[in-house]
Amino acid sequence: MKAILTIALKDLRILARDKAGFFWVLGFPFLMALFFGAIASGGSGNRAAMRIAVVDQDRGPYARAFLTELQKSEALQVREAPLDSARQLVRRGQLVAYVALWPGVGESFGFGGDSAKIELGLDPSRRAEAGYLRGLVTAATFSTMRGQFTAGGGGREMIHQSLASILSDPTRSSDERRRAAGVLSNLERFMTSLDSETVGAKTGAASTGTAGGPKIKVVDIAEEENGPRNAYEITFPSSVMWAMIGVCMSFAISIVHERIRGTFLRLRLAPISRSQVLAGKGLAAFLAALGATTFLLLFAAVVFHVRISNPPALVVALVAAAFCFTGVMMLISVFGRTHSAVAGAGWAVLLVMSMTGGGMIPLIAMPAWMQSVSNFSLVKWGVLAVEGAIWRGFSPQEMALPVGILLAAGVVGFAVGARALSRSEG
Amino acid sequence: MAVTSTADAIPGVPTTAKVAAQSTHTNKRAVENQTGRVIRGSLCVPERVKQSDSPPRLTEATGNPTFDSLIMAAIEVRDLKKSYGSLVAVDGISFQVERGECFGLLGPNGAGKSTTIHCVVGALRPDSGEVRLDGEADPTRPSVRAKIGVAPQPIALYEDLTAEENLEFFGKLYSLGGKVLQTRIEMALESSGLAARRKDRVSTYSGGMQRRLNLVCGILHDPPVILLDEPTVGVDPQSRNLIFDSIEALKRLGRTIVYTTHYMEEAQRLCDRVAIIDQGKILALDTVEGLLRAHGGPPTVQVEFARKPAGLEDLGGEWEENRLRVRTERPMEVLGRVAGMGDAFQHVSIERADLEAVFLHLTGKKLRD
Repeated sequence: MKAILTIALKDLRILARDKAGFFWVLGFPFLMALFFGAIASGGSGNRAAMRIAVVDQDRGPYARAFLTELQKSEALQVREAPLDSARQLVRRGQLVAYVALWPGVGESFGFGGDSAKIELGLDPSRRAEAGYLRGLVTAATFSTMRGQFTAGGGGREMIHQSLASILSDPTRSSDERRRAAGVLSNLERFMTSLDSETVGAKTGAASTGTAGGPKIKVVDIAEEENGPRNAYEITFPSSVMWAMIGVCMSFAISIVHERIRGTFLRLRLAPISRSQVLAGKGLAAFLAALGATTFLLLFAAVVFHVRISNPPALVVALVAAAFCFTGVMMLISVFGRTHSAVAGAGWAVLLVMSMTGGGMIPLIAMPAWMQSVSNFSLVKWGVLAVEGAIWRGFSPQEMALPVGILLAAGVVGFAVGARALSRSEG
Repeated sequence: MAVTSTADAIPGVPTTAKVAAQSTHTNKRAVENQTGRVIRGSLCVPERVKQSDSPPRLTEATGNPTFDSLIMAAIEVRDLKKSYGSLVAVDGISFQVERGECFGLLGPNGAGKSTTIHCVVGALRPDSGEVRLDGEADPTRPSVRAKIGVAPQPIALYEDLTAEENLEFFGKLYSLGGKVLQTRIEMALESSGLAARRKDRVSTYSGGMQRRLNLVCGILHDPPVILLDEPTVGVDPQSRNLIFDSIEALKRLGRTIVYTTHYMEEAQRLCDRVAIIDQGKILALDTVEGLLRAHGGPPTVQVEFARKPAGLEDLGGEWEENRLRVRTERPMEVLGRVAGMGDAFQHVSIERADLEAVFLHLTGKKLRD
């Protein structure tokens, strides 16, 4: 073990002094995270605003309130437009989507209204954002409804109107009228009680409170809880993979360098086993990967408030990813006998893995076919494991798949690479 | 071509015993110097390495030679063969290196010297043949490797580390530590003339400095068997002399040395016996004197005249303008004739045959062709 540590510490010392290697291990991933994070968040530190148009054909107070709710979202850049113009802009790709509010949409915020009064028109090429946008629209809908119920008895007025409408409806039987009146009366009593008690965090809204009522606690809505809170929660997991790739390439090339320089021969002639030599190299790569990624994520957490929702899972994810790329490093180191051969082949493989695995384009923004292809990329499983621990809220069972794949790939890579290295060394 | 030897290819037990005894004696002398005093210009390592998991066969705890060490050669190579595809690098080489001997492998580049060394130390697996190091058939065993020191032909150092860090790293791989390691490092830096640059990265060193460090890194653990693969390639005269001094000091300490080179002067100066190797085969193996006697041919008398004289045609030899070269077993007779010419000659020299001539004689080509 002492020999393994001696070799590992030597390699880490050399890496720390190798400015180019250090850049690829830490500098480049850091710049990638900052660059793409800044682009995606428009420089404000938040998700890049999606540009949408709202077509208000209702012009009622509820529709205006809904529009106001949408405009409050930092994730959206909202403008009003006529229907034809909005459709045209989406078709040209200048807008992600339009939200059309048909006449009578106000009734859909009450009872008995038609829920299909809102139309979401999406650019087909932006389906990746569809779920997120739908969530924001739904959130605005509920926020508007909540506003109506809690804003100074507006909800009770809506109940009165509905009750009067039902009682005067000649198509309903007296029995139906009696039952509806009973339900709505009970609901009115419940609304009255709400006016005098704390509404509670679960129904908290973006609004600051109700007129004359208790203060309402402002909480993030559900869609935000389950997704990345800001762009850096997407770019830093990707940068973690870039750091792994940087470590992988630096150490693969260092093995070739040692073989060419003759220091690898010296190591092999020392009174230690070949497996100790390889374990030493592997340990150095593993520690470098863990160190670089830990630094990146700590920086992200402190400076960009990236949540680490499950620290133990994150440790598992990072260990698995570092182990995986240590194995890949060993495999890549035998791709050739010269620096250029190993660097060329290594970067080719790892860049494809990164492109298809979420190192450049976030996984959540990939079209379906690319997500299928990404299953063959170890970068994808690394990103998934890290995101699972950061913001995806993966359960242990959900973590098992990416972590298992990473560990298996690491074992295979190390075994095949070590064997090939031993054979090529005669 | 058959191996030609004019001396005992396998010396008898008494000779070996004598060498072993001398070796032990010199080791004891070295231990007396272990307080750290350095013999300038040489590597004087104070004590034997104790890290191997089996004790060296050379001596017992008492310092007396064991029976095994009296009868076994330090290195035995039998019918060694190694090919790279269709290229035969080593073609049935056999030799023995006795304890305390400095054994030279002399041959041009590509002759198979480095491949032989790599097979001997277990870095390459031979296609066939047998290698025994200190009687052990498997040179890859850690206990055997602890007894071997290698200075590879490439400068096998970490350029981004300092000299001190390189030495410390390689020392630790050989289980050296604490004060012993520090003492060894100090001595190695002193003897290689690098003490003043100990904190500088190796990448800032000259080629000669790197060569010197390359050598001391290989022998820091004080191995009884040392293999030096072209240790003076590309170095300045000052560094070369320092390396020679170090090797001569190791010889005095009784270390067994295998020295590969394509410089015949080095083999002639340092080696007790020399194997001349070409195209993977040993062409001749003997002491330098033996080789010269057997293959060097007669001395050459070279005379330079002011103008070409008449009356010397019967001496034979070759004329090149006013210069006469005569290879003869009786150089004094030639000199007598030349002296009888009065002051017509300007310069006279007698050149004794060297290993270059031996190589030329054996292969029909020069060593550096």
